[in-house]
Amino acid sequence: MDAYTSNPALLANSELFRRYMGRRVRTVVKVGRFEGGNLYAQAPDGPQISIRQVVKNEEFTQFVEVIGVVEGENTLRSEVCTNFGDKFDLGQFNTLCQMANGAYQDIFM
Amino acid sequence: MYSDSGADGGSLFGGGGFMPSQSAGLNDNSFSPGGGSKKGGSQSSGLIPLTVKQLSSASQKPSDDNFYVDGQEVNNITLVGMVFNKEEKVTDVSFILDDFTGRIEVKKWIDGQDSEELVELRNIRNGIYVRIYGHLRSFQGKRNVVAFSVRPIKEFDEVTFHFVEAIYVHAFNMKTQGGLAGSRTPASTAVPYSGHPASSMTPNPSVNMRTNLANQYMAPASVPVGSNSVDECQRRVHALFDEPANLAIEQGLHVDDVARKMVGYSKQQVKDAIEFLVNEGFIYSTIDDDHFKSTNG
Repeated sequence: MDAYTSNPALLANSELFRRYMGRRVRTVVKVGRFEGGNLYAQAPDGPQISIRQVVKNEEFTQFVEVIGVVEGENTLRSEVCTNFGDKFDLGQFNTLCQMANGAYQDIFM
Repeated sequence: MYSDSGADGGSLFGGGGFMPSQSAGLNDNSFSPGGGSKKGGSQSSGLIPLTVKQLSSASQKPSDDNFYVDGQEVNNITLVGMVFNKEEKVTDVSFILDDFTGRIEVKKWIDGQDSEELVELRNIRNGIYVRIYGHLRSFQGKRNVVAFSVRPIKEFDEVTFHFVEAIYVHAFNMKTQGGLAGSRTPASTAVPYSGHPASSMTPNPSVNMRTNLANQYMAPASVPVGSNSVDECQRRVHALFDEPANLAIEQGLHVDDVARKMVGYSKQQVKDAIEFLVNEGFIYSTIDDDHFKSTNG
């Protein structure tokens, strides 16, 4: 049964980082600036977060999904970044994060 | 194009699929060959949007290929996730789909002549998001999905949409199943068959869920006549006879076996129910007057 659950990533907005410290999460951000290997971006619920170890020279679209480990209240260490295009409803995604960690979390984790 | 097929197609299929009034043609083949083909129709569903987590925790009857999620029989499903470990062979393309709630193996058979399909599959690369439509099955004890369609996601709101839809269907099923259990089988509130009737009163959702699942586990072979004419005991006895494992027994079930499994009912109640079901033509006596078998077998 291991194959089914190996390495899951929890849907999270920045508010949930505190809850998932040290764990693998999945979020979508609006790309801001790129500085010294860190990507500064807007989390689905609004705050700025920094994402470490983003692979350089990667061409990002405006919205990027980041899968990574929570290192701090506003910091992620990136494992996988996926371009989510230039048109994405962050608000809707934020609502999903809330639902997936609230009343309906049993179908996600 | 993909956004059309994704968003509209998804809601079209999803909306139609999980609604209880719909039934999928496949169900009848896999579950009830022959008579009583309406059986389970109201409970089975067409195309259900799910998370891999739900698939991995889907319940399965012994000696039966059917899966149940939230008490719904699951045949055709749609998943959205990332592709890993893609392998192309002459006859098929397989990969691991990871939706970050879990991972599951997906296989798409290649119809050699259809080059358009091949081109589409070649475009599926590791690390991209896809939506798949497919059939859940179990092979050598491992669950996997045989896909009818694997399409790359181009508009990523579809990813959000898929999970919201999965939540919606989950919530819908939990709600209706609870509602149905009350309205379709009024007797169930009066008969403490579960052994702890108070559990259905508790506000704890997980307990409710378990109660519901227990109900549905008994219910999938619902009686093919108006439920009002069949009381709870009869319905449950009939469901027992319709369980695939019991259909497979040549001489059918002995009255005592049935009575033993019908916790909460007296032997006389069970006998009465059996007599009723015989008279209505749902079951018949086999090697002697104590053995009965479903006419659906």
